[in-house]
Amino acid sequence: MRAEAMDQLLRPKKLIVTTGLALGVLVIVMVACSLIGSEDISLRTALSNSGVAPGANPDYEILVQFRLPRIILACLVGAALACSGVVFQALLRNPLADPYILGISSGAGLGAMIAVVGGLNWTLWGRSPVAVFAFAGALGTVWLVWFIGRLTGKFHVTGLLLAGVVVNAFFSAVIMFLTSIAKSEQVYSTIFWLMGNMAEEDFLVLWVGAGCVIGGIVALFFISPQLNALSFGADDAKSMGVNIVKTRTTAFAIAAGITAIAVSLSGLIGFVGLIVPHAVRLVFGPDHRLMVPLSGIVGAIFLVIADTLARTTIAPAQLPVGVVTAIVGGPIFLVLLVKHSRKIGWLK
Amino acid sequence: MNKWVWLLLTVSCWMAAGFALCGSRQSQAGKEAIPPALPGRIVSMAPDLTEILFALGLDKEIVGVSQYSDYPPAAREKPRVGSFWQPNIESIVAAKPDLVITLTTTGFDQQKRLAMRLARMGYNNLTVKLEAIAELFEGIKQIGKATGRRHQADEVVCDIRMKLQKLSNLVGAGEKVRVLWVVQREPLRVAGRDTFVNEMIELAGGENAIGPTVHKYPPIGAEQVIASGAEVIIEPDMGQQDLSAQQESAFRYWGKFENLPAATNKRIYVIPGGEVSRLGPRLYEGIETIAKCLRPHLFES
Repeated sequence: MRAEAMDQLLRPKKLIVTTGLALGVLVIVMVACSLIGSEDISLRTALSNSGVAPGANPDYEILVQFRLPRIILACLVGAALACSGVVFQALLRNPLADPYILGISSGAGLGAMIAVVGGLNWTLWGRSPVAVFAFAGALGTVWLVWFIGRLTGKFHVTGLLLAGVVVNAFFSAVIMFLTSIAKSEQVYSTIFWLMGNMAEEDFLVLWVGAGCVIGGIVALFFISPQLNALSFGADDAKSMGVNIVKTRTTAFAIAAGITAIAVSLSGLIGFVGLIVPHAVRLVFGPDHRLMVPLSGIVGAIFLVIADTLARTTIAPAQLPVGVVTAIVGGPIFLVLLVKHSRKIGWLK
Repeated sequence: MNKWVWLLLTVSCWMAAGFALCGSRQSQAGKEAIPPALPGRIVSMAPDLTEILFALGLDKEIVGVSQYSDYPPAAREKPRVGSFWQPNIESIVAAKPDLVITLTTTGFDQQKRLAMRLARMGYNNLTVKLEAIAELFEGIKQIGKATGRRHQADEVVCDIRMKLQKLSNLVGAGEKVRVLWVVQREPLRVAGRDTFVNEMIELAGGENAIGPTVHKYPPIGAEQVIASGAEVIIEPDMGQQDLSAQQESAFRYWGKFENLPAATNKRIYVIPGGEVSRLGPRLYEGIETIAKCLRPHLFES
């Protein structure tokens, strides 16, 4: 019954129009933010001759080599975190869930820490060992939590959540332990990484990252009808004919995968994965077929703006972008919460 | 299932295209920048490097300095290009440098990444390591060579060496004074043996009251403070402008340690941080300040 009601709520036309409009806003924001920065650059000078010799056309170099990659990176990370936030909130049926709730953050942090303390020094496709280990640590932790959660029972999210909390606490303790035995100077670079750091990335990294993240979001969109059913609860979903274990496993794997990619690209950026899904749900309603693409786009917009603020507020120095997402995102979210929560109940 | 196959195919093609397009470009990257004989636009990425550049008389050539480059006073007038740990690569490029000097420090890869990135874009850069006094002398010479000021660099190094020799004659080879070098009070952190501060203490005729430790700047407890038997406690100023206020609070704080010779004899010194917190051309001045704390009577005349 409810699934049918859902089908009626969303017409393809509404989906296409809303998503298209949101994409348009994203493009406008990207262009606007690429023109803002600590150095004033003019678009005309930048595009007049693509600089051949280094230093011949700094405007071009700044725009194309630094700002554009960074903005694209912010888009990817924002989209990945927001979408995986949607999935975790649906799967765990918990409004407090975010991409980091099942231990991805501490797993990635531990990976990064091991890479730093181990003094590794190589690059894989332009990625440092910190990024590679963070990625591996994130995926490994999620697998561990998933495995423990499965042991507690197939249909109970509480076991999964508790496993996540405990693994998170345990790995955080290991990080603390490594911090106190490591030579102090080794610790600093991890601290910057933990605060979330948008470094300008190399083109190939962005290309591969974009492939994975966009592919993941499309895949999540494919299973969004099942996510709708799951957010009513396992029993309801089962009665609607949804294969719960398969849906959960798929959604979980994809969400964890894109989060791990986001984390390995830019460290731990908090808040995006928590507030963007809520904001989208409050404004556009709880249908996941709309929420997945829209959260991705809104997450991208949000992080691009936050990162632009991080680069410019105390220019020429920079803020960690995680600080901006929390300071800007918190109040916006509270306003939305107060305005809309009377209209719509949580996850109903 | 069909749509899943399509998705997988599209993503695979996208990846393959990426590697085909950029993989080759990456391998041929790094067109070697030809260093100019006399760089005219230099960017310094750390306060110590800025001091060295000024000491070599490169005032006019400096077009950008890091956030906290505050010495000599003229450095404050130079455009800022971000801090040592958060370099602002936009401002660096906008300064149109023909030489960017970066500092490698164990534990911070920000500067290394910056250097790699600039090199890939074809900017000329020089990386210097300044973590021990020998490296400082080497670094000054390296910078002198890269900026065409070899002669001045040799002079700066010789001058410091000569003054240090004189100081060591004055201090003599007598009993070493045990020094506790406090970097932070709450929680208590002191300079360990594997630091340039330790070298400075030794050149000033002292010895570190703390033995070898795992950390460079180990956190220690009250027990180790007593066990160290420090005769002199030195606190470089912790950011306050008013040294006398810190001096007063230092007497109060260290007064608790009744069995510590430094506390009973009130030999606790708060000294300005600038000269002793970074390795630069003011090395001798820093060491002299320390020597004055250790043996005030030698300098009274």
